[in-house]
Amino acid sequence: MTAARVAKTAAYAALTIYAVLSLYPFLWMVSGAFKTREEILDGGHLIPREPTFDTIVTTWNQLAFVDYFRNSLIVTGLTVLGVLVVYSLASYAFAVLRFPGAKALYWLFVALLFVPGITVLLPVVILENRLGLLGTHMGLVLPFVNGTAPLTVLLLTAAYRSVPKELREAARADGASEARIFLRVHLPLTRPAHVTIAVLTAVPTWNEYVLSRVSLNDESLYTLPLGLESLISGTVVRYNEVLAASLIMVLPVIALFAFLQRYFVNGLVGAVKG
Amino acid sequence: MATRWKEWLTGWAFVFPAVALFAVMGVYTIGSGLALSFASWNGFTPNWIWVGLENYADLLWADPSLAPAVRRAAWNTLHVCVAVPLLTVLISLPLAVTLNSVRRLRGLLRSVYFLPYVTTGIATYYAWRYLLEPEGSINLMLRSAGLGSLARPQGWLADPSTALWTLILILVWSAVPTATLLYLTGLQAIDPSMVEAARIDGAAPRQVLRRIIVPLLTPMTAGIVLLGVRDSLHGFQIFLIMTNGGPGGHTSVLALETYELAFFKGLAPTLGLSSALGWLLFAGAVLLTLANARLLRRVR
Repeated sequence: MTAARVAKTAAYAALTIYAVLSLYPFLWMVSGAFKTREEILDGGHLIPREPTFDTIVTTWNQLAFVDYFRNSLIVTGLTVLGVLVVYSLASYAFAVLRFPGAKALYWLFVALLFVPGITVLLPVVILENRLGLLGTHMGLVLPFVNGTAPLTVLLLTAAYRSVPKELREAARADGASEARIFLRVHLPLTRPAHVTIAVLTAVPTWNEYVLSRVSLNDESLYTLPLGLESLISGTVVRYNEVLAASLIMVLPVIALFAFLQRYFVNGLVGAVKG
Repeated sequence: MATRWKEWLTGWAFVFPAVALFAVMGVYTIGSGLALSFASWNGFTPNWIWVGLENYADLLWADPSLAPAVRRAAWNTLHVCVAVPLLTVLISLPLAVTLNSVRRLRGLLRSVYFLPYVTTGIATYYAWRYLLEPEGSINLMLRSAGLGSLARPQGWLADPSTALWTLILILVWSAVPTATLLYLTGLQAIDPSMVEAARIDGAAPRQVLRRIIVPLLTPMTAGIVLLGVRDSLHGFQIFLIMTNGGPGGHTSVLALETYELAFFKGLAPTLGLSSALGWLLFAGAVLLTLANARLLRRVR
């Protein structure tokens, strides 16, 4: 073997090891979801000896997954939508419009990056309690949207700035309104950046546990993480069911990401260059 | 003049929704949170009792039932926010360089490496909990590899000597995906002719890596470290879900203490203390970021 060959083999060996590590808990999720209550207890083997669909079926029936899915979709969908609308408008203004206060507002939003979510969690709960929002889905969506402001404004402002000035000036000379320039020139050219923001918002929102836990009381409004939690809060934890429920929860996210991955990566490239 | 006014109004109109949301969810919460940190309140009585800086003093040294726990949580938090960004860079940089050097399977591997980011959260934390149990796959694997002495009979999360580091490694595992992806995009932006020129001048691959590639990636590293420190200070979901600070406070972090003081003390007047601790965390985040920025500037 030549030196180059050895190096290449070593490279692939290292890459494969990390791939296994990345997949590790996910593989066990799949494995556990197809094991019975008895088999999960002597758990050293990855491939189930007698694979069964019963676990997934029982788990599905045991929890109100349809409700949880609907609730999670509502919360995540509204959050992503809110983030995209509110901060694409603001970022457009920061990137290309000139008006008093633009700079100060931009830096204010970026500086919020340093305010820990936990620091404002209690005031958010107190405020929402007064406004009657506590325990509703809107009561989750509004702080979630507000919480993404720093990173979103940073990334989108950079993306809009990367759009060539000449395009905007040409559209202006043709008498296009600012809203039209935003919708017809900047949005289409920065689509990957928006997909990146959508993924970076959707994934943590889908998995959010803390604010949901302290604000939702009505079980019919529970999101997936809270539903999943109810499986583990008992004294006896049936890990095959926990793993099955976990699998049910993460599969849609994986599917969505597989679908959006190309745009996501391009958006990240654009954001980094900008 | 008219066009100038028009541009101003358009600008304000575009930022209005963001500012309005911030006025409701941000200004009030930040303001009232800051005010509450100077008061004593249990969440039920109608009035706050103003106590000045007492909450801060209690947390930092004055209250013997609080200060030691806070100091311990601060120490654990420091571990997390030094170790997580450092290990993330040490794993993802070589990983990205290696992945960038191969052609076959690159796309597939990139997707696989990103999977932990997509799935991270409660579902994956439960899966890790299962794997780290006394009879879980990690211990069984060590035993069957003849490394039984390394196995933790109590389970990795229940053993005081391993719990914190186990959580740190899982945090690194969830942080590597984005870092690797960022490094990959950085690597692809490097002008190949620069690397080629160095090679023609007789630079060995290792020198190219050290003298050209790693310095060019420094801005990326800065971003990864800064965001990593921030996430380590702010995030506590994993600590809440996997250990809830246990065993015996060995994995308590400041954000988790803040959460406990805010929501799990019943009628005790700890809400002001919780707010004060939250703002101490904020101060810590700002200080660490400034220190980091200075350090990175010097390296560059």
